[in-house]
Amino acid sequence: MATALFFIFAGFAIACAISCVYHKNPLYSAISLIGVFIALACVYLTLAAPFIAVVQILVYAGAIMVLVVFVIMLLNLEEESPLNRLRYLYGIGGALGLVLLAQTFFIFYAVTKNQDKNLKPDDSVGQTLNIGAAMYTEYLLPVEIVGILLLMAIIGAMIMSRRLRRAKLELVVDNKEE
Amino acid sequence: MNTLLFFQNLVNPDVNVPIVLPEFIIAIAGIIVMVYDSFKPAKQRITGAVSIIGLILATVATFWLWATPGNPASAFNGMMVTDNLRLSFTVVFLLVSILTILISSVWVENEKVPAGEYHALLLFATVGMMFMASGNDMVIIFLGLETLSIATYVMAGLRKNDLRSNESAMKYFILGSYASAFLLYGMALVYGATGSTNITEIAAVLSSGESAFPTLFLVGGAMLLIGFGFKVATVPFHIWTPDVYEGAPTPITGFMAAGPKAAGFASFLRIFAIGFPLVATVQASALLHESWITALTMMAILTMTIGNIAAIVQNNVKRMLAYSSIAHAGYALVGFIGAGVATTVTGRDEAIAAVAFYMLTYAVTNLGAFAVVTLLAQKNDRRTEFEDYNGIGFKSPVLAFTLSLFMLSLLGLPLTAGFIGKVLVFRPALEAGSAMLTFLVIVAVVNTAISAYYYLRLIVVMFFKERTTDWIAPKIPTALGAVILLTVLGVFYFGLFGNSTIKSFTKSPATTKPATTQNAQLK
Repeated sequence: MATALFFIFAGFAIACAISCVYHKNPLYSAISLIGVFIALACVYLTLAAPFIAVVQILVYAGAIMVLVVFVIMLLNLEEESPLNRLRYLYGIGGALGLVLLAQTFFIFYAVTKNQDKNLKPDDSVGQTLNIGAAMYTEYLLPVEIVGILLLMAIIGAMIMSRRLRRAKLELVVDNKEE
Repeated sequence: MNTLLFFQNLVNPDVNVPIVLPEFIIAIAGIIVMVYDSFKPAKQRITGAVSIIGLILATVATFWLWATPGNPASAFNGMMVTDNLRLSFTVVFLLVSILTILISSVWVENEKVPAGEYHALLLFATVGMMFMASGNDMVIIFLGLETLSIATYVMAGLRKNDLRSNESAMKYFILGSYASAFLLYGMALVYGATGSTNITEIAAVLSSGESAFPTLFLVGGAMLLIGFGFKVATVPFHIWTPDVYEGAPTPITGFMAAGPKAAGFASFLRIFAIGFPLVATVQASALLHESWITALTMMAILTMTIGNIAAIVQNNVKRMLAYSSIAHAGYALVGFIGAGVATTVTGRDEAIAAVAFYMLTYAVTNLGAFAVVTLLAQKNDRRTEFEDYNGIGFKSPVLAFTLSLFMLSLLGLPLTAGFIGKVLVFRPALEAGSAMLTFLVIVAVVNTAISAYYYLRLIVVMFFKERTTDWIAPKIPTALGAVILLTVLGVFYFGLFGNSTIKSFTKSPATTKPATTQNAQLK
């Protein structure tokens, strides 16, 4: 049953990924990407990780994809003809793909070779309750540091995006100009 | 689920406030500055004063942790430690931040930088640096690094109407994020190989030879080398440095060359010198140790040579100082390798203290030099070319003589701080006695000789070149005068009496037994 579900969702994810790369219109690609995320979330569910599944849908399929779609709409991208001068990138992309494939096989090989029979994945590891408990007990300090980090990221974004106080924009392009 | 069982399985958070007191004080000071600024914006004197008071209090707390016995050696389940590596580097960071606030006062005034936000960012960056030195867990180190990096990206771009500053922030942001990704991937692989993010436990797994995946260790270690190599600007991961340093506002450039570099070295040392020790009986550990020592030796040789040779051809003082900072990272790496090959714990701690002392002398000298460069650069950093320094020597003797002193200290002339720093970092590598490390030290000494060319060139330009245009010596503001006085005194103090500092850097704080063992029993 679990195997059948895995193949259904994995197949859906791969199909969506191919469609994401195939479409020339960025909007279709973005929507295909949502399909990939949802399929992955379903795979996480079958792996007893409901928290990651929900976060995947909330953060990636929800927040991030909305941002992507907004950017596509705002930038008003036109359909571009393929750039010939970027041809060489196909080769690099293919090579990187091969490296990733090799890595996958290596991990598969390493895991099957060194199978640790004593490893018993705890059923409750992926549950929200346990993640919350770990965050506020064992990982209390990192959570506090993340608080500082996010606060500072907000201030930084505000400073960078705020309008200049002086209305006149004097661009300093050349340091020799007076 | 059984509720009772759930509560029994909870881990004790092992909270200990005194051990995070310095970080805590700075974070609180940052929040106070921010809240004050939202009610009364752009009051530079008050936010600056609050920041400096916070930094001084944190320094006091650090020395208190050092001197007072009875604090635990680690807390928060082994995530935070108190040892001489952490405390000596923390002192360096706090000093760098205090000096940076003083140096930037001129710039904040001249260019109407939002003072409150800037001071808050600087304080949060300091918190990040301190966590990088105090974290004994890769989670803490990564979070500290990100806190530091994001604050620095923004500070590099604070001069928003200057295209060079925009370029600097953009380049630093994109390349820095890329390097962070490498670092995180490396951490994940090391976690995969050991099943722990705690550095003490990683070292234990390595020594016992229990790790099932030595390959993961090697790949993860290589990724970590790339990530940290970027953060401390070593060749071949240095390409971003000159552009970012040139474009960023001068006080921030001084900060970036002194603070984040030292922080990078602190966690670099923590993970490699302490986390990946040499245990000759275990094959995986010996292989990993030999690989990272060899890789770092290559990097150090390349870094020193390329940094110094590229610095010779620069015509911009900030770019010259950027390449000089690359070369200095190479010299510090020599001490790092010395810490890596040390056979005893005392030897390792001495080499670590030498690197911390080197970063201290470099920070003092470099910030002094950047203080003078900031003052001479005028508004928007317009005057940073070598020809802008033509013949100013006798028109503004104070600035010219102090800048010459800093150049001589960067060069490593005896009686200055730079000399003692260099001697101390070269010594552990030389004492190891292997042919490769002796060669490394020889390369370092030859490079010091090469670097004389561009440091002396600036002095020659200032004193012996004719000036064709009019030039009025700038008035030295009080804050900047204080920085120049402090750094000049520092250069002489560390140059003449550096021994007492290095001794206190080597001294480990008197701590009680680690709380982790007790906690493990609880589990």
